[in-house]
Amino acid sequence: MQALNKHLKKALSGGDAGIILSALSLVVIFAVASDSFLTQYNIFNLTRTQSLYIFVALSQAVMLVTGNMNLSVGAIAGLTAVIFGYAIEVLGLPLPLALAAAMTVAMAAGWFNGFVMTKLGVNSFIVTLSTLFIFTGLVYGISEGYSYRGIPKDFVSLGRGNFLGLPYLFYLMVATLAAVWYMFKYTVFGRQLLATGSNQEAAELSGINTHRVIMGANLLSAFFAAMGGLLWVSRLGTAQPAIGQNWLIISFAVAIIGGTALNGGKLTAIGLFGGGLIMVLIKNGLILVQANVYFEQAFLGSIILLTILLNRWREVASKKGKSS
Amino acid sequence: MKLELKNITKQFPGVKALDDVSLTFSGGEVHALLGENGAGKSTLIKTICGIQKSDQGKVILNDKELDLGSLKEGMSYGITIVNQEIQVFSESSIAENIMMDKLENYRKSAGIDWATLNTEAVVYLERVGLDLDPEMPIGSLSAAQKQLVQIAKALSRDADVILLDEPTSSITENEVAKLFSLVRELRDKGIIMIFVSHKLEEVLEICDVVSVLRDGKHVGTQPISALNKESIVEMMIGRKVLVEEFDELVVDKNDLILQAKDVSLAGVFEDASFDLRRGEILGFYGLVGSGRTELAKTIIGHTPKTGGTVLLNGKAVDITSVSQCIEKYSIGYVSENRKEEGLFLEFDIESNITITIWKRIANKISRAIDMVKQNTMAKDLMKQLDVRATGPSQIVGDLSGGNQQKISIAKWLAADCDILIIDEPSVGVDVGAKSTIHQLIWELANKFGKSIILISSDMPEMISLSSRVVVFKERKITGVVPGIATGNQNYADMSREIGGLMA
Repeated sequence: MQALNKHLKKALSGGDAGIILSALSLVVIFAVASDSFLTQYNIFNLTRTQSLYIFVALSQAVMLVTGNMNLSVGAIAGLTAVIFGYAIEVLGLPLPLALAAAMTVAMAAGWFNGFVMTKLGVNSFIVTLSTLFIFTGLVYGISEGYSYRGIPKDFVSLGRGNFLGLPYLFYLMVATLAAVWYMFKYTVFGRQLLATGSNQEAAELSGINTHRVIMGANLLSAFFAAMGGLLWVSRLGTAQPAIGQNWLIISFAVAIIGGTALNGGKLTAIGLFGGGLIMVLIKNGLILVQANVYFEQAFLGSIILLTILLNRWREVASKKGKSS
Repeated sequence: MKLELKNITKQFPGVKALDDVSLTFSGGEVHALLGENGAGKSTLIKTICGIQKSDQGKVILNDKELDLGSLKEGMSYGITIVNQEIQVFSESSIAENIMMDKLENYRKSAGIDWATLNTEAVVYLERVGLDLDPEMPIGSLSAAQKQLVQIAKALSRDADVILLDEPTSSITENEVAKLFSLVRELRDKGIIMIFVSHKLEEVLEICDVVSVLRDGKHVGTQPISALNKESIVEMMIGRKVLVEEFDELVVDKNDLILQAKDVSLAGVFEDASFDLRRGEILGFYGLVGSGRTELAKTIIGHTPKTGGTVLLNGKAVDITSVSQCIEKYSIGYVSENRKEEGLFLEFDIESNITITIWKRIANKISRAIDMVKQNTMAKDLMKQLDVRATGPSQIVGDLSGGNQQKISIAKWLAADCDILIIDEPSVGVDVGAKSTIHQLIWELANKFGKSIILISSDMPEMISLSSRVVVFKERKITGVVPGIATGNQNYADMSREIGGLMA
């Protein structure tokens, strides 16, 4: 009982252990509840979706960590996908050039967000709310709602193939998270992102060019959004303008469940991994228990709210613990 | 009408803000509450109006002990505060601003009975001598008019006690006269008026009684007739001040490391000129808002200047950002608000200390910070500054005020700047930490040859450390006073000379 109590406390006291523990509990619950849960097919699917979610979450988390947000991540992903499809099908460009074109447009979109935020001093909510519509408008203006086909086989196999039963995307995601972990733990830029989010005024007075840092976060956010968009294309096999439409909720949910502080200053790669897993398990689990999928967004929204409330309660509790 | 405070004590982590304070305020008098920064004034005000609960002691109004826990409870007893920052809802009408907390009294079917509300608001406006359309948005009023509206609001609550916290800080002299005649009028009606101000001339003009706090203790209450400006300053600073003695710094008068020539920031300060000699400690003395901190932030490129020239080692420089200031010109600024502007409270000690030099200790290719170096640097500096902590990985938010201040100085020692601007280094720290910090500042100049600008409103600190003191008054530099170490004066002469430049 005492041991259980200790585990429970640890889970509630937050940190990566709590997130991973929650994810594992969900795995156990679903494995018991459904025979089809631990099949190889299901595991492949789950981890592939998880991998995509991680890129989506990263695009949001690198902004949240600086105390800002990016509502336009999905629109940037859609734009990337459409430019990529257009370059291949309409312009007939070879794969590397099409990828470069899509990436360039995404980075320009990120740069624009960053420019308005830092040089014109508009807050991130307003900027990205506007660009969400601007970019979405471009997506539909360019594609006219049409899905581009003719995506090269090599590229599609990236999103569909597997190695040792796990999707290629899973390995790509793990490598990316490792790089993110390294960046936030050791590199100057990563530490500057955290410092800016933790206390922007102090960071500025410590000689950190916070405008440049926030610009960097915007570029990084666009980069991850573009990665997510392109990988989504490789999984679907077509470049659809609808890619990114449901990202707003996923990006916030995975980032927040994964322990990214909403007011900046905190991000953990292991937490994000757990957050992505929890998200995909919940979605998968809802189907397995035959819940009405039309209510899905209501479930996800409630989970975001609960996570935030839990975090706040935890903060209050830990402050009380310290002062007594 | 009588408001009594009995044995009020309030402890904050690392510092006793109020220490057994007992005071009596009577109706029919304007009672000044004075003290230097950190003396405990604002904590006492917060206690009286209910924003903050004291650890011990009682607040008694007309022989009834009050149970204060919030501003709203304070108001319900008739205690109300007029803040230094004028808080209004700009888009709302004057009448609505006055009645904001009582709107439920004017309910009419589904909405608000504006006609009655406006008529009643006019009554209060008249009492403060304002002849204005109550439906006008308050945003179009002058600062003084807004201040008067705030007082009208206090009157509408049937206040028995009105606390005026720096009421003249944002209004012009003409408007002050108007405000003061109203204060006198209210006093004559028997309301207890408590007046908090940095401006001694005003205190002498308007107040009947003066109470002074120093280091959280009540040091005395005197009728104004028994006081003059000098004696008030003496009460605030203390007659027998413990002036720490430091040896004279060896400075070459002609070796100027930093010069400012007519530096201005429109609307904030004008034509500031001073020079900093290599290896000296130059004091910037003045009240909050006199332009000293603002000038410092302009020098370091945080708020770009609108006029004048800054010279570094005789050459004109254009410092446009703090990062450039640190990296290229080797000037650092230790902020006065360590929590808001100096520290990353949720980071550990070593990250806080090395933040200014991350770029320097990072691998050139991988851009990874050398964690071993970070750890050793932090350990060395913690030892040098006698930081009390469990280790370099302790979270800074968990440290006491004094230790936090040491960390925010350590960070600049790590940066190894030639020039350090240190702003109010000992606000909110206890006596022991204060003397360690003083010792350190002096050593920085004496042992390490740093040139230092020390900004402070703590007179003993200023006098014992500074080679010379630049005095700021109302956004201008009014003079430079030679220090004890460089001149041939004693403490009293020097504080008198500084006081003269402030008056």
